[in-house]
Amino acid sequence: MNQRSSSTSQEFAFVCSLSDGLHARPASQLAEVAIEFASDCLLTNLRTGSVASLKSVLAILALDIRQGDHCVVQVRGTDELAAHAALLRFVEQVLPTCDVPLASLHTTTASSKLPRTLQMAGVKGWFGSAVSPGIGQGKVIPVSGMALPRELKTPTATDPLAELAQIKRAIAAVRGRIQEKLTHPQSPTESAVLQADLAIASDVSLAQKLAEHVSQGKSAGQAVMEAGEFFINLLRHSESEYIRERALDIEEICLHLLQEIYGVDLQTAAIDLREPSVVVAETLAPQQLLGLERQWLKALVLEHSGATSHVVILARSLGIPTLAGVKNARGLLLAGQEVVVDALRGFVVAHSSPAVRNFYQRELKTLELRQKLLPVQTTGPAITIDGNPLEVAANASSYEEISLAFEKGADGIGLFRTEMAYLQRQRPPSEEEQFAIYAEAARAAAGRPVIIRTFDLGGDKAAPYLNLPPEDNPFLGYRGVRIYAEHRELLQAQLRAILRASAFGQVQVMAPMISSLEEVLQFKAAISEAKQELSRKGISFQADIRIGVMIEVPSAAFILDELCSEVDFFSLGTNDLNQYFLAADRDNPKTAELSDGLHPGFLRFLRRIVEEIHGAGKWVGMCGEMASEIRHLPLLIGLGLDEISLPAAGIPAVKRAISQLSAAECERSLTRLVACREKTQVEEQLERAQPPRSAQPLLSKELVLLGSESRNKEEAMQEIVDAFYIAGRTEDRQRLEEALWSREAVYATGLGYGFAAPHCKSDAVLADSIGVLRLNQAIDWGSVDTKPVNMIILIAMRESQNSRHMKVFSKLARKLMNDDFRGHLLAVENAHDMAAYLAQQLEISLH
Amino acid sequence: MKVVAVTACPTGIAHTYMAAARLEKVGKTLGFEIKVETQGAMGIENKLTEHDISQAEFAIFAVDIAVEERERFNGVKVIQVPLQEALKDPHSIFAKIQR
Repeated sequence: MNQRSSSTSQEFAFVCSLSDGLHARPASQLAEVAIEFASDCLLTNLRTGSVASLKSVLAILALDIRQGDHCVVQVRGTDELAAHAALLRFVEQVLPTCDVPLASLHTTTASSKLPRTLQMAGVKGWFGSAVSPGIGQGKVIPVSGMALPRELKTPTATDPLAELAQIKRAIAAVRGRIQEKLTHPQSPTESAVLQADLAIASDVSLAQKLAEHVSQGKSAGQAVMEAGEFFINLLRHSESEYIRERALDIEEICLHLLQEIYGVDLQTAAIDLREPSVVVAETLAPQQLLGLERQWLKALVLEHSGATSHVVILARSLGIPTLAGVKNARGLLLAGQEVVVDALRGFVVAHSSPAVRNFYQRELKTLELRQKLLPVQTTGPAITIDGNPLEVAANASSYEEISLAFEKGADGIGLFRTEMAYLQRQRPPSEEEQFAIYAEAARAAAGRPVIIRTFDLGGDKAAPYLNLPPEDNPFLGYRGVRIYAEHRELLQAQLRAILRASAFGQVQVMAPMISSLEEVLQFKAAISEAKQELSRKGISFQADIRIGVMIEVPSAAFILDELCSEVDFFSLGTNDLNQYFLAADRDNPKTAELSDGLHPGFLRFLRRIVEEIHGAGKWVGMCGEMASEIRHLPLLIGLGLDEISLPAAGIPAVKRAISQLSAAECERSLTRLVACREKTQVEEQLERAQPPRSAQPLLSKELVLLGSESRNKEEAMQEIVDAFYIAGRTEDRQRLEEALWSREAVYATGLGYGFAAPHCKSDAVLADSIGVLRLNQAIDWGSVDTKPVNMIILIAMRESQNSRHMKVFSKLARKLMNDDFRGHLLAVENAHDMAAYLAQQLEISLH
Repeated sequence: MKVVAVTACPTGIAHTYMAAARLEKVGKTLGFEIKVETQGAMGIENKLTEHDISQAEFAIFAVDIAVEERERFNGVKVIQVPLQEALKDPHSIFAKIQR
């Protein structure tokens, strides 16, 4: 049926041409046209057979009309001719123009960056940036900040007429407020959104449903909740993202109605998790995140991009897998839908097949095993192979994180961000409240240092009682130490709390956003004042408390001589320092390339800063994101930092990686790094600078897998690579896998006799290694004798160093041609014996 | 009959040595006197001397990449095969010589 019109009948047919279907905006416009007439106007979706009144936006949306759907409009009544003409004109002339371009949605079926097994499984999902690594699986809980309160105590219904009147008043009030906003909208987009909201608030279907519930004896509040849920459920099951997104609008309107009816603020309703859940939100307030049941919170999906927003920083330190920048996530993901959030590779799997589920089952097991095998070094700093210690401390924003940090082996708290306690509340925290937290932190640290940074408010972190004016450019504005003069009492209360806590442990105090000597002098004067106050009252504190400053404003780096004579220590806040140094917004995806701190100029800048501070005999640490990446370690050690501070979850892996590096080698790497002309060269050099000699033996029991259930070459390859990852022999599985596959692409490494010897030269492997996989069922490997293989011997060699292990590898290769040797490998009973036999044959040590 | 051989593969980690081992073994079984040079990740090993080459009736190149110092073999009868041949069917390589 093509688009056609009929002048002889009061009905016409059309085919929906809109790529997103008949979504909210055209639906509300269509309803506006229909509502002008007295006639009944009906719309039928021939694909589903459903019929709806054209006068109700909700009813139209519920028809789920998608692109290509055939539809029929029928008009009956006194003014049917006029109504028919108006509707036909709208459908023919206006409807096709209703398709405004959508925000780009990143979807993919397979990417070359995914493991082969996942590519083959045909995974489908939505991309975002993985801002807190890990994998989480659970049911989608969309959070609009407006979840309908399910257990709100509802007053019992009075008489239906009174309840109905209350609903009408509420609707009128909500409509009035939207219309008020519509008189001065901020943008055309906002205007369109408000129009759609207004259409929902005025919707006849909604009004009907509400009246229906009231007439059944429900109270006004109950009626709104039930009608809301009815429509939300209807729309959430639509296959159109646009319509699913409208469910949020209805939720919002219903919430406004409830607020009118009950006269209370419902926006801060707590989110109640009761099963493994994936919370999907625009963004979350840090307190909201802390309020979620950790046991059930498996992952977070945020629409807001920004790897350094507070909620992201918090999620990272709590080890919650998090994806950010997933546009329109609440529209894309259905409430209650089971999803997998892959915050290692950066996407959320929305539609999973058995193969995808199988992949993630294995993946979760791998991650768990890796965690289990990762030694947590809780005693003392990490030490490089040539004996240089490097303190690995944790960043924290709450007491909960601090206790987690020490479980993970933190050598101290390198950055305690205190502003969290100031946000999301009407009044600032009292001195006592802060003292209780800091003293508890000092006790938990048991003698290890706790660096408490005084509040860094302003900018993106506003608190209502500070009365900070909105700014055009908050990152260059009134924030950090700059607001201290105006908020003297607030600072004094915090300083007293910190000083009092210093009596319970090694507490140090640090100022944010220092850009001048004056600020340092004022900060120190404020500390002296707080000390005097405490002395007067006879309250004890550590008189010589160490005072430090953040280096995050470049100007501070050029007055280090002055600063060094005033303070005891420094901490490099590389997020802001890099953003200010390169004039690149760290939350802007378009400037992300500049934001990772590997600009050659920035590296030179860092080296200069550290050298100057050390020259003056002072201590310097780093607490920015830059300090949290294992691949940056050669750089960080080369710089000679005294401490690095990072999210607690990453500490064990970082400590282990440090113990595999040589400080002398890292120093030489740094010389090469700062000499790089381009960032790509910096990245190459960094890769080469990974552990030059490993303390690890060529082979260990963990790399011998017998009785594998892998069913094809891809799974088998992945299984060995995963074993390398579990054993800490690679931090980049993807790159190692790709290196092996590109060797297979030359010709398959099946050597006959049921044996295969895949191999590669790649710095993705951190130590020269031999892996063994013996399969229960033989699989095809493209062998020279075309026979399937059941024994796989994998050789992975580092690329950049001339391997001293090549002799062993060549010996192994030659032995594989020996019948007795192969026979023995097939017969050996367990991993231990296999490793022992290979060690003996190859004359290598397993230790 | 005296034969020399060179094995070389792209990564030079495994196949160079597997092929060498295979050619040595099969060659000896078939009654050849064989010396195999490997050109792998460790560079040239078990290098064929001028004397070795001059004594040989044939040179087998089981290689996937160019043979280094190829000029040593000028004037010698060369049988060149993809390296995989040495793993798949070494007998046929020697059969060619015997023909």
